[in-house]
Amino acid sequence: MTDILSFSRNRCTSVEIIDDQIIKSSCHLQDTLTEAFVEITAQLPDLEIVAAKGDVRRTYRKECLDSTESLQKVIGVRIGPGMLEITKGLLGENTECKELIFMVQECCHGVILSLTKDILLKAPEDLEGKTEFFSEMVRNNIRLYNRCAAFAAGSRLVEGIEPP
Amino acid sequence: MLKFSRNKLVGIARKDPDTLQVHGVLDDDLYGLEMEISVRLSDLKLLSVLGKWNHWTTPECQKALSFIDQAEGFCIDEEGLEQKIQKTIGRKACRHFATLLIECCDAVKEAVKIIRWEEARAKHPELTFEEFLNSGLQDPSGSGIPHHHSAGASRLQVSPEPIRVLDRTKDEGSVPKRASGGMVIDIHTHSYPASSCSSVSEDRLIEEAKRIGLDGICLTDHNYVWNPDRVKELSQKHGFLVLRGNEITTDQGHMLVFGLDANIREKGIVKLDELRREVEKADGFMIVVHPFRGFLIFGVEQLGLNLEKAMERPLFKYVDAVEVMNGKVTKEENDFASEVASGLGLPGIGGSDAHKESEVGLYATRFQGSIVDEKDLIDRLKSGKFSPVSFRKA
Repeated sequence: MTDILSFSRNRCTSVEIIDDQIIKSSCHLQDTLTEAFVEITAQLPDLEIVAAKGDVRRTYRKECLDSTESLQKVIGVRIGPGMLEITKGLLGENTECKELIFMVQECCHGVILSLTKDILLKAPEDLEGKTEFFSEMVRNNIRLYNRCAAFAAGSRLVEGIEPP
Repeated sequence: MLKFSRNKLVGIARKDPDTLQVHGVLDDDLYGLEMEISVRLSDLKLLSVLGKWNHWTTPECQKALSFIDQAEGFCIDEEGLEQKIQKTIGRKACRHFATLLIECCDAVKEAVKIIRWEEARAKHPELTFEEFLNSGLQDPSGSGIPHHHSAGASRLQVSPEPIRVLDRTKDEGSVPKRASGGMVIDIHTHSYPASSCSSVSEDRLIEEAKRIGLDGICLTDHNYVWNPDRVKELSQKHGFLVLRGNEITTDQGHMLVFGLDANIREKGIVKLDELRREVEKADGFMIVVHPFRGFLIFGVEQLGLNLEKAMERPLFKYVDAVEVMNGKVTKEENDFASEVASGLGLPGIGGSDAHKESEVGLYATRFQGSIVDEKDLIDRLKSGKFSPVSFRKA
């Protein structure tokens, strides 16, 4: 056996602010077997998907060929809680191409993470300030409690915060 | 200019005849992490799973690393793998590690196809990849990123009439004392197994509602139509008012629906306007629940969401009421929903959205007059004679 790869994958999701109302998020997938692209456009303030397009350039999956028309089904969906179930449901009725559905969801995650970035940029640099900043974040969004190791009981970030 | 970018890389090498070595990297503006995984080819089990942070956000993110190995033993082609990873690695460690692990597992599935094809070509040198996939020689474990719908509970059937859970005369003694001065009912709860996301049985939910002094409870499981006979049985068993509704996922979010017996979800995700037509046909009642859940996390200013714009959301044209007190969202999100409902002249309801026992009755709805069955509930909802209340903490 050698260290030569049997398989490699590169998936890139990028978010671009077009103007103060429009965000574009795209996902490019390139791996040994598949090459595909999906782009969604969302409008503020509701983060409503107003446009979606895609292209499956290389695939062995017959169900993914000519599947991009189904992307129109997500127009009108708001990016936010529940979006995974909704996009999976809407697209799943129209295409068996799971990769395409996954790429739409990656685009949606990208939008949310880009907005999260704005908030995290406000975090202080010093440890004490940072700890207080994230504690306050949990206090304000109690759903974060126990969402991950950093916000689980025993973490200094949730000290003194009553579990929901 | 790009505001954000995330790159995920996965490389898979065959270390020995029965072992795949997987290296995954996730790198974005916020998080940088790597995973090193070994997979046994013969049974597709994860033999070892290691994680490493390159950059992170909170001072406690490092704690995630001690939970990463909980994925050892997982099988790449097992049913519900994605959910299992989200629940263990995502919740106990970090969701970004879960994301990367899911990507790695999916890549392994693809790699296995190539490996099996190459093995088959040793005997059949002319065999193309497409021919191999169609030949039945491949591992039948499936393909693609796993998106398993929870089998969930069985979808129950239509009942011709709204149920009458308590006999008005015979069971009068079991109607709570507050019936004459109104009734407080938690009209939004989830039980297991009807809602796979809940951790409490319907019996425990009912017992808890009774214990804390509620006058009744509605079982409103996700996309699940409760059998009226079963609900009646529960009501009689506990001597307590048990009603039923349905929380339906639409293209515009979740809706609590009362009086609709048909299993609307057989068609998949339902369009809100279609659901509205069904509810009207059934003479039922529809409430949008937690309409701003998670939406204020980023800050109203950041999204430019104001009251006026929120009120313009088309979904509000289709509903009869708005849930303005929900036990799973923040005070700000509830307050904002309340302002929007008030601005639109829509009545507000309260519900706990309980998924565990301790959450029952956090919020509820106070109805004027007595309610003894589903028909009464719908009549009261239509009359608008109700108000949301904070119950458990009050």
